[in-house]
Amino acid sequence: MSQRVNLDLKKELFLYGAKEWNQCFQCGNCTATCHTTENGFFFPRKTVRQVLMGLKKSLQTNIDPWLCTYCGDCSRTCPRDANPAEMMMSIRRYLISVYDWTGISKLFYKSKTLEVTSIIVLSIIVMVLYLIYTTFPSGDSSQWIGPDGGALINKMAPWQTIHLGDWLMAGALVFLVITNIFYMWYKIIYDDKSLKVGFIDYLKPFSKLVKLINPDVKYAKCDEKKLTTYWVLHAFLALSYGTLFAIIVFFLDWFQTDTVYPFLHPQRILGYIATIGLTVGIIYFYTNRTLKNMENSKYSHFTDWTFLILLFFTTLTGILLHVFRIYGLPQLTYVTYMLHLMVLVPMLVIEVPFSKWSHMIYRPFALYFAHLKKMVIEKSKTIPHQPQYN
Amino acid sequence: MEGIKTTAVFFSNSSRGDSDLIDIPEIINYTEKLIKVNSVWLQDDINIYSPELVSRKIRKDNIRRIVIAGQNPGMYKSLFAKAIVLAGFSPDDVILASFPEHGALIKSDTEWAKAIVACAVNNIPFENATLTEEISVNPNTLVIGGGIAGIQASLEIAASKNKVYLVEKSGTIGGHMAMFDKTFPTLDCAACILTPKMVEVGQHQYIELMTYSEVKEIRGIPGDYKVKILKKARRMSLSKCIGCGVCAEKCPVKTPSEFDSKTTLRKAAYIPFPQAVPNKYMIDESVCTYVASGKCGICAKVCPVPGCINLDEKDEIVEVNVGNIIVAIGFKTFDASKFEQFGYGRFPNVLTSLELERLINASGPTGGKIARRIQDKKGNWIFSPEEVYSPKSVAIIHCIGSRDENHNKYCSKVCCMYSLKLAHLLKEKLPDSEINEYYIDIRAYGKGYEEFYNRIKEEGVNIIRGRPAKVEMYGNELIVRCEDIEGAAMIEQKVDMVILAVGTEPAADARDIAGKLGISVDRDGWFNELNYIGDPVSTLSSGIMIAGVCQGPKDIPDSVAQASAAASRVLQSISKGTIRKSVKTLSVEQIEKRSQELSKILEEKL
Repeated sequence: MSQRVNLDLKKELFLYGAKEWNQCFQCGNCTATCHTTENGFFFPRKTVRQVLMGLKKSLQTNIDPWLCTYCGDCSRTCPRDANPAEMMMSIRRYLISVYDWTGISKLFYKSKTLEVTSIIVLSIIVMVLYLIYTTFPSGDSSQWIGPDGGALINKMAPWQTIHLGDWLMAGALVFLVITNIFYMWYKIIYDDKSLKVGFIDYLKPFSKLVKLINPDVKYAKCDEKKLTTYWVLHAFLALSYGTLFAIIVFFLDWFQTDTVYPFLHPQRILGYIATIGLTVGIIYFYTNRTLKNMENSKYSHFTDWTFLILLFFTTLTGILLHVFRIYGLPQLTYVTYMLHLMVLVPMLVIEVPFSKWSHMIYRPFALYFAHLKKMVIEKSKTIPHQPQYN
Repeated sequence: MEGIKTTAVFFSNSSRGDSDLIDIPEIINYTEKLIKVNSVWLQDDINIYSPELVSRKIRKDNIRRIVIAGQNPGMYKSLFAKAIVLAGFSPDDVILASFPEHGALIKSDTEWAKAIVACAVNNIPFENATLTEEISVNPNTLVIGGGIAGIQASLEIAASKNKVYLVEKSGTIGGHMAMFDKTFPTLDCAACILTPKMVEVGQHQYIELMTYSEVKEIRGIPGDYKVKILKKARRMSLSKCIGCGVCAEKCPVKTPSEFDSKTTLRKAAYIPFPQAVPNKYMIDESVCTYVASGKCGICAKVCPVPGCINLDEKDEIVEVNVGNIIVAIGFKTFDASKFEQFGYGRFPNVLTSLELERLINASGPTGGKIARRIQDKKGNWIFSPEEVYSPKSVAIIHCIGSRDENHNKYCSKVCCMYSLKLAHLLKEKLPDSEINEYYIDIRAYGKGYEEFYNRIKEEGVNIIRGRPAKVEMYGNELIVRCEDIEGAAMIEQKVDMVILAVGTEPAADARDIAGKLGISVDRDGWFNELNYIGDPVSTLSSGIMIAGVCQGPKDIPDSVAQASAAASRVLQSISKGTIRKSVKTLSVEQIEKRSQELSKILEEKL
């Protein structure tokens, strides 16, 4: 595969995080430490090499960085202190921007100002829309307050209306995400002419992927010991997030009720568990990133912080909303409802298709493609040259 | 008058932000106060890619002379020469003030760096402004360290019939070279080169050898040092011991032998090795039970020479007067157990290169047979002399502790070559075995070295590019996990023995000795020379020379050459009869004043 060398690739990647590319002297320590390395997949050294040599096309079609679990073994033992693990993280950020065919992701990753401005602008739009909606069509705000003085949210914002908004937004996001994944498939599998992927091959990698869900398998050979806690809390956070997301998009009529149910009602229990998941996760990741006590939290890109902060405010306003509603403070409830929407909407619109959130979608697909690629290569034995030892 | 307020001083960024290095802000403060200095430019103020912009600045500020100060000023010379020509002046007026060139390397040299800038501002060579007066010199010389460098320097000076005091910390001279089997790249036997020199030192009438001694205190000035030397008690008479070895035979206390790199045991009454100079036995007071508790004393009872062993002997302090001092204290090897992933200390068949060196040597623990450690009936791991246990495959891992940001950042310079040599020796003794060398880069930089490397490759040693990440032990097998970068393969290789090519580190007492001598060490702990390129043996004190690995990693030929150079420096002052006072006696003010006077004289002449 001949390709043009891009001398500015390294500089471009500076914006995605790691800056130590020149430190690397290609000793192969990281590859040898890493348990994801197998014959034919020399990772992470080969990926770093692609950056150093400016092989932009090879890098863009490279799937290896998604195999990395960021256990940090390579960074700890790297003789050049080049932080290969953080390099892989930066490349993943870069790849997210590559898979996004709209090119918006690239702009957000490269410019902190643009990302923050977009979030603020979106917030203001949401606020303006909310104010217009609450002031003009329904007019009489007195009927939003129940006989007992509590808030009647469904009077103000019927769940049908919110659902409509949700579905419009979700539709756009799903469209973006699906087309991005299709573009990713195009770049990684379709564009690689050396791969001959039959239809039946697409069904094979699933057995391997199922195994990887187990953290004991995933981190079995890593030296870092704190990873299991990390995995549990990360999974808890992701599950809580996913649950709340599903409820709001599909079952809002069940969740957003004007009647305050007793404490042990499934609606409240589920909500509390998910809130705990989000809160604990946010606190854990926040302390990790501040204390820098693990390899995978030593370096934070501004997009990491943006996601964490947006998630924090979404959770906080969600909790406040619930408290105000239960204790019958209608004015505060409606203000908080607006604030909640003001953080939630930018978080979904900006983070889901264009920024850190999207790793939730890309990671499983990338792992699937990676194992697919591996299996196809192993089947066709295209590994170029293998010296024999013992 | 021309010369007033016409100079700009440029400081490069290279040395800023590092607390170990020279304090640049302080020098900038000082520079701004110098009479001729018009402006001080920092790298951030200057567009170093555009001579045109700099020339505009030169014209605007009315500048006639530019001084470039910093760690590596030569880098910016072409820029400023172009700029000053564009501004219409002579490129001769771009003057370099290199801190390292004149011995200013670390924070404590900040004052010295100020003097360097002052001289450059006055356009007077630093050497001319710092000429000190000559004083008479004592023809005796002290050499600290009895390795190959110390031996060579002593012999060179003694050959001119001048007295040398050679002080060695251990019980014998010879140092690390005595432990080596062969030397690279000629594959000469190390002992065949070294032992004649050792014997010559022992017998030379102009060399007073003081083994098992340490330098306690140094006072005085160049040309006239008073040195207190602590002669530790050998507890056996150097003059009476006949070297029969009965004491060692009967001694009940065993301890690891330093000479055999702790692969064998020696007694508390011992001789470091059979060819030791002086070839006399001694008592190791740190393990001897008599010294510790007053019980035992068997050696004194069995000694055939009456009055030879005096177990109650006390340390004594000798004072000598010398004019010059040569420091050649050598190095220590890197502690391989700092690398947990390679399992040194946990896995019995992971050895350091120095241990293998002894294993290969005919006087070593197995008499020259390459053996691996196996578990005996008591469960101890011992080297088995039996043929069946000789290793079938050996892995040699380069760069242990060198070129590593987590340990030593420098290249130890010798490990590549000695690893290739060890591979050759292994292949020579075990022709059927498989030898694998894992390297990051091969540094075969000397005369005949590249040829040696090619020869080793032709001998069938697998030379694999890639740094192993792990050594694991399963049963009696070791497994090395590594990426073969050139062969594009992941290797998980079974081997019988792993050799870690440990790098060099400054000797444990290097900083201590530097403090006593009043010379500086760099951030790694190597002694600072006056000028790395032009004057690698002198230090800021004119009477103190450095030689061998204590100045920086180097191989035997370089150490010998540097020792001879140091000796020639000493002989220079002895044959002249005088030595310059240490430049350190001058203060910054004195140097600044002197350079101003000289520049005035120069300007009047023009």
